[in-house]
Amino acid sequence: MPFQAAIVLFLVLVSTAWGADYDAFPDLHRDDPAALREATRVLEEEVKLAARPQTYLLFDLPAGAVRIKGRGVDLHRIDILRWTASAPQQLAGTFRLTARPPVVRRKIDPSATTEQEPIALADMPTDYRLSFTPALLVEIQSAREEGVVQRTLSSAADLWQRLKAWGASYTHQPSPPEASITLRLSVEQAQSLAWSTVDGMALIVRRLPNP
Amino acid sequence: MTRLFIILSAATLVLVAVLAASKNSQEQTSGVSAPAPIVHDQALLDELQGRYKNVSKQLSQFMPRQPYILVDTARNHLYVKRSHEVILDALASTGSGIVLDKPGEGNNQWVFDTPRGEFSVQSKLTHPVWVKPDWAFIEEGLMVPKNPADRVEQGVLGEYALGFGKGYFIHGTLYTRLLGKNVTHGCIRLNDHDLKSVYQLARVGTPIMIF
Repeated sequence: MPFQAAIVLFLVLVSTAWGADYDAFPDLHRDDPAALREATRVLEEEVKLAARPQTYLLFDLPAGAVRIKGRGVDLHRIDILRWTASAPQQLAGTFRLTARPPVVRRKIDPSATTEQEPIALADMPTDYRLSFTPALLVEIQSAREEGVVQRTLSSAADLWQRLKAWGASYTHQPSPPEASITLRLSVEQAQSLAWSTVDGMALIVRRLPNP
Repeated sequence: MTRLFIILSAATLVLVAVLAASKNSQEQTSGVSAPAPIVHDQALLDELQGRYKNVSKQLSQFMPRQPYILVDTARNHLYVKRSHEVILDALASTGSGIVLDKPGEGNNQWVFDTPRGEFSVQSKLTHPVWVKPDWAFIEEGLMVPKNPADRVEQGVLGEYALGFGKGYFIHGTLYTRLLGKNVTHGCIRLNDHDLKSVYQLARVGTPIMIF
């Protein structure tokens, strides 16, 4: 009997230690109330997702990472080089993937003697859009080796987007701003994200804290 | 010249104003974060920290306590992990992503993908035999046999197989030179040594996370 009690005590201690050691957001400022509120909100959403057998996405913007997760465990991490989020107040909650870039699949011809080449990571798109419901558009841009001209064009495009958003905010038709996130990833990471997304996949977003 | 300078200066000022205006609460950008405020309300901070810790603990309850299998289909690796520790890192072959038309079924197709998401080991088999499905005959331009015994093929799946539902297995292969490539019809292939290790480490119910 004392032996069994010792085993139970050991299991309880191990279980407690596991919970205590886990830190979902190591970069979190523990003395910043806004950051704590945001991190807690994200974890509350994640608890609902982790309760079911599925993989899901976490855009951890303050940490600069896309995290593919399941049961609360980090399965894969994709580093974000640069990001922009519009209408961040609308990025709370859980989003579901509704549209992703089409993959060109090769078809087996039973009468042919040569085998079809399988799909590889390199076949995945590098610049594409992911649509979610509730309405959220995620634009993935790959960061190729850019010359001065490309960098200038890219900056001009950014500036144009901002000018458009600024102009739209002064129109007479008040409409809720569209939630959108732009992620700039390395070419391989952009392809990796395209590979890993599946229809209906859940997404939660950790934003910068708004004091 | 002076006029040009004035025009350029004015344009610059307008741009700066626009950029400043666009950096309001409607947008967040990487690399821009407000400094953490100094908090005088220690009780509030304690409460927020307590909530964060509680939800972190809730999330950790969903994490697998026992070893689990993680499959990276993009890079064709299978890992067995315990918590964050990698117990086994094995080169694998996963789904090719190729399609095959189902004869007489219009636009219906078989898609040879390894399914993504969370699964679990449902069966553990020794000396498995392959009961060839319809597609195995059709892709080779052969007639689908009427006699079930004609579908059975021995010695192609290795010594062990772990089923994870809907006809998908982790099994061995004769084609070890193709490990590391996306060549399968959706199953996950390993070499004999790694397959034996996975068989010994996994139990029925062991989670399999695939991305």
